[in-house]
Amino acid sequence: MKNRLRPYYPLLPVFAAYLVLFLLGRNVAGMWQLTATLLFYCALGQAFNIFLGMTGYVDFGYVAFLGVGTYGMATAITGLAGYPQLGLWAVALGFVLAMLMATLLSVAVGAVALRLRGAYFAIATIGVSEGFRFLIEGANLWNGSSGMIFTSQLNKLLGRDLASSVMTFWADVLVLAIAVAAAIVTLLYMKSKIGYALTALREDEDAAKVMGINVTRYKILAFITSACFAGAVGAASWALKTPYVFPPEVFEIHYTIEAIIIVMLGGAGTMLGPIVGALIYGISKYYLSIFLPGFQLFIFALVIIFIIVMFPEGVVGVIKGKTRRTAIAPYIL
Amino acid sequence: MIMEQLAGNMVQGLVLGSVYGMATMGLSLIFGVLKVVNVGHGAFVMVGAFVALFFFNALGLNPVFAVPAAFAIGIVLGLAFYYAAIRKLLHAPELATLLATFSVGVLLEETVKMIFGSEFRGYNWDLGNVDLVFTALPISKIFAAFGSVLIALLLYLWFKRTRTGSAMRSVVEDSRGAEVCGVNVDGVYAMSFALGIGLTVASGVLLTMFIPVGINPYMGGGYTLKAFVIAVLGGLSSPYGAFFGGLVFGLIENTSYTMFALIPGVEPFALTRFLSFLILLIILLIRPTGIIKAK
Repeated sequence: MKNRLRPYYPLLPVFAAYLVLFLLGRNVAGMWQLTATLLFYCALGQAFNIFLGMTGYVDFGYVAFLGVGTYGMATAITGLAGYPQLGLWAVALGFVLAMLMATLLSVAVGAVALRLRGAYFAIATIGVSEGFRFLIEGANLWNGSSGMIFTSQLNKLLGRDLASSVMTFWADVLVLAIAVAAAIVTLLYMKSKIGYALTALREDEDAAKVMGINVTRYKILAFITSACFAGAVGAASWALKTPYVFPPEVFEIHYTIEAIIIVMLGGAGTMLGPIVGALIYGISKYYLSIFLPGFQLFIFALVIIFIIVMFPEGVVGVIKGKTRRTAIAPYIL
Repeated sequence: MIMEQLAGNMVQGLVLGSVYGMATMGLSLIFGVLKVVNVGHGAFVMVGAFVALFFFNALGLNPVFAVPAAFAIGIVLGLAFYYAAIRKLLHAPELATLLATFSVGVLLEETVKMIFGSEFRGYNWDLGNVDLVFTALPISKIFAAFGSVLIALLLYLWFKRTRTGSAMRSVVEDSRGAEVCGVNVDGVYAMSFALGIGLTVASGVLLTMFIPVGINPYMGGGYTLKAFVIAVLGGLSSPYGAFFGGLVFGLIENTSYTMFALIPGVEPFALTRFLSFLILLIILLIRPTGIIKAK
């Protein structure tokens, strides 16, 4: 019994962290706003880690998947506003649409960009994200640059009370659920053939290919999984929490960078890394903006350069190295 | 009417394109030699723009003097960043250098913001216009284009005629081979990075002729993305390729704007940007070595 459950031990610290975060947010007055931000960063990091951490490919246009997810939810809510009897089902359909659109985009992008490696891949993905944004604005898709505002449609569908509790509370709970799901999928991937294939691919793609691993298949699988979660995060954290969407906001490259920082800070390719990274990043960003407003970006840039140079393997990477062969080793992955 | 407008825009496009090209040579040089993509590229362009602004407004000197000063500042910045961070990351995964160069860009933006503030500024170097039949071209822009071509030519000669230049070319070809032949590869890396940044900061001065009131600490982001498209047009690792890529890009940007403006119900400016990224993807897919220089 003990041995059969042992591979799942790394989920315990993950769940514990989320539980503590949730309880703190619920029970300490004025904390929910910060908790919600931290949950968003956790989910973002957890989702991005599935691709960035496991394959080592740098998707510089990751925010595009959050963006289309937001548009997916927006489309569903606006389109279904005429059927108030649907109620919460409309939100569920919104999630389906958001994840579907993110998946479709990732299949299209993956087919093109995943043929490229390294810097070429990074540049191609920036191109996709920016290009998509300008296509929406230029061709006036989804109202173009004037964006979509759908607060009234959400109110019509759910009723004013439910809609406002969705915006202030349930959207964040959904983000938490997405983060947990992404953590579970990460562990399942890591413990299966997929994880080994991706590790081989990350270390040396050509060698992995020669060994007979179908690297393309696993790369695309990780890419799509990661994008699908990103779509859900966009739908919950952006569309439901603040029911409007403008192209420059949801395709803002800084979110991609934040995701990279979170994964890198915590430790790319580790299970616990994204949470640790999200907590460090989110909490320090919050307090820096209070105590040193205007200087937070400057300080962050310095800290990030320092960390990349001194601890490229991230916090969890360091801990993992230090605790090898100790009692807590099975819990840290 | 439309043909005249198109011809005028093409001339403007070529003039702007030569500056675009020069503004991308540093990016391509750094990628070619060090295999590092400088995601903070635009921030260095911004520094150059502020050097021009400072020379014009505070010192009363025209941009001709600002170019060498900006180049020198760029060399110093380049050497500082190379030895502080980039050198230690040359063998790290791409992730590390991408994030490091991005952070360097943020550091520059924030520093400039602390010194000059974040409002939009500009200066006007008015030398009159040259009246071509279908368009009027400000003489300051002609100076900028002339400066770009001159700098590109000097770089070309430096690569072809000097020992350091050929050492750099040998490292682009095969860094290990060059090391075996006695080339100081670390020195070449440092010098190429510094030279690349120097060119980029200098190009920022020339760009200010095209943006009368567009100087701002955060102006660089758009130039980083344009530079990516241009660099990819030129094959990403060739500075001359980048120069011609800039000319092509300037032409595409200006002519497609004229064309898109004819379609009702669209935003031509955004579609122009979309087109440039579409071109980026197509080239990366079918010919990642660039379309300008077949090799």
